[in-house]
Amino acid sequence: MPPMTYDAIVVGSGISGGWAAKELTEHGLRTIVLEAGRPIDPAVDYVEHVLPWEKRYRGMGNRRRVERYQPIQRHTGACDEWSSKFFVNDLENPYSFPDDKPFYWIRGRQVGGRSIMWGRCVYRWSDLDFEANAKEGYGVDWPLRYKDLAPWWSYVEKFVGIQGRRENLPQVPDGEFQEPWPLNAAEQKSREILLTKFGGERVITNARLAVLTEDHGGRQKCHLCGHCARGCITLSYFSSINSTLPAARKTGRLTLRPFSVVHSVIYDPVKRRATGVRVIDSNTKEMFDVNAKVIFLNASAMESTRILLNSTTPEFPNGLGSSSGELGHNLMDHIMDGGATGTLPFATDRREIGNRPDAIYVPRFRNVKTKHPDFLRGYGFEGRAYRPSWERGSEMQGFGASFKRSLIGDLGPWEMEFGGFGEMLPRHENYVELDPHLVDAWGIPALRVHCAYSDNERKMQADMVVSATEMLEALGATNIRPFKKDNPPGLVIHETGTARMGRDPKTSVLNSHNQLWDAPNVFVTDGACMPSTANQNPSITYMALTARAVDYAVGQMKRREL
Amino acid sequence: MQRREVVRFLGAALALPFLPRGTEAAIQLGKSLHERLGDVPFRTLNSDQQALVTNIAEMIIPETDTPGATSVKVPEFIDLILTEWASDDERAAFLAGLSDIDTRASAMGSPRFVGLPAAKKEELMTALDAATTEKTGAALAFRRLKALTVYGYFTSKPVEQDILKVQMFFNGYQGNVPFTPAV
Repeated sequence: MPPMTYDAIVVGSGISGGWAAKELTEHGLRTIVLEAGRPIDPAVDYVEHVLPWEKRYRGMGNRRRVERYQPIQRHTGACDEWSSKFFVNDLENPYSFPDDKPFYWIRGRQVGGRSIMWGRCVYRWSDLDFEANAKEGYGVDWPLRYKDLAPWWSYVEKFVGIQGRRENLPQVPDGEFQEPWPLNAAEQKSREILLTKFGGERVITNARLAVLTEDHGGRQKCHLCGHCARGCITLSYFSSINSTLPAARKTGRLTLRPFSVVHSVIYDPVKRRATGVRVIDSNTKEMFDVNAKVIFLNASAMESTRILLNSTTPEFPNGLGSSSGELGHNLMDHIMDGGATGTLPFATDRREIGNRPDAIYVPRFRNVKTKHPDFLRGYGFEGRAYRPSWERGSEMQGFGASFKRSLIGDLGPWEMEFGGFGEMLPRHENYVELDPHLVDAWGIPALRVHCAYSDNERKMQADMVVSATEMLEALGATNIRPFKKDNPPGLVIHETGTARMGRDPKTSVLNSHNQLWDAPNVFVTDGACMPSTANQNPSITYMALTARAVDYAVGQMKRREL
Repeated sequence: MQRREVVRFLGAALALPFLPRGTEAAIQLGKSLHERLGDVPFRTLNSDQQALVTNIAEMIIPETDTPGATSVKVPEFIDLILTEWASDDERAAFLAGLSDIDTRASAMGSPRFVGLPAAKKEELMTALDAATTEKTGAALAFRRLKALTVYGYFTSKPVEQDILKVQMFFNGYQGNVPFTPAV
């Protein structure tokens, strides 16, 4: 096959790849998006309105199949009887880890990537986050500050469509918001109590979500079916398929090629530029090259790094981008699975109607104004207040006609849940490398992941339990059930780092515009680029960084500097 | 349908005067019977276990002015889960627990639970329902059976459509709606 030539290549069609495609094509570049997985047809593949009785196991999942083919993916809740098809086959996509350091790598290989199943929570960072590495001596300093990214957050938020409540909290700056869904009766009462009892430090606010409450950009407002991870025929939540890829297609300059597994970046030592990428057709296994002036790697944090590690040349025997020795290093996730649930004593004569996919957020309050003695950085809580319906029946005492009547006609009292999501420090010893003994179904070397939480994260997780319990006690909750699980990293599905940005080519892989120090026409704008991970959900930041990097790349191309 | 299942189905369901010759013919007959009966054959629970599971499931969620567990095929759902979903250990523990329920019934005057008078059945079920910390035997089987009965009942088509009236489209979220229980 002769090489195909485009102005730009985007590797991956997930949340950041979709943005790269939209921005590059809208700037006039003929762009090919190479997606390793299959195409998605919303009319066929979106199944959010398929009811349990229509599924063979009523939503309990095809357990034997996932145990056999998705032994890693099955650990995430969204890999269920409806959506397991959106997660990879672990046998075709192997990776390894040392026995004592498990890492759950949750992946989606299809057009849209994980933007189909993502959690849709979007929070800006503040300079508290951008300055932390430099102040505390972890990792490298971010080459950016809030003011650099703020206009780009605004830019992407306006397109994405985000509901949120303006709170004027310095640690999670407000963005471009649609009106949020209201807090429910129990959440509103809880907000008021906690504001008083914690002096305004712990704030229950409406989750900031990439889910529309008003029609926006040809997409309809959310109809509250509650099953976002299965797709959305009204396109109400943001995904590449619902939003950015259609915008890119509208320019007439997009070529989307599914079944295209990128093997490596091709490097020209004379020009000191990449000339394109080597691709394997996942169906025919045929290898071919695609050439372009500029390449955006958006394959997901660890996949983009894997491609770079596999792009070895005499100049870069450890992979393109490896000259600092940091490529593959400083892998992070968040830490979760710490918190508590309790039964609220109020609003017993109130209920909710409509299934919100996400509900409330308590922004970080640790190490904001005062210093916590046990750990650095902080965490926020996601949560909700809900009244369990018939699901409470398996735990409820009793049987017979009155038991049945209660499950049909009554609801349990409000349960309030707080689950923490905390920052993980960047550490050189958490890293990925190519496994010399393992390849994927297309013969490409697989990753070996070395990653573990440290004391700082475990102490933070312990504090999540303490502070969630404190809040429930302040609310007068009964039956408080603290929870803490020692899950391995990866499962938050916020894996970041491994090709960090920085100010110095000796200590970082990318510059402040996500440009590879080793090859300036290669940009990495997915999670790989992050020098730290804050505690906020990361996707909106990848989107902003991507739009900013494309703007910079196009400017450089116009000035003939690229 | 596999031939083995067809033969078991035929053997269990009907006393046929003859079996047609050949696998294909047997499968065809099995299919037509299956369609006519509109039923899924039980593949794990034998007839005694079916009777026990059906009896307890119907006592957990009885027929009232709305359908009960039996009429929405909860026992068939439980058999499906035991056959295709449960691990070997889980299935064995459940079946052992069912047999333990009959053992407990023996001490109350009937060799099988299904033979107990209604009041005795309720007495035993109340005891099992309260034994929330027991990890094996009759209490475990009862707890699993109760969970699967509730789940199977409320995820069945008739209940989702006609009783819960599961809705997929809402015009906005309302979080402060007055509520009075209908019990």
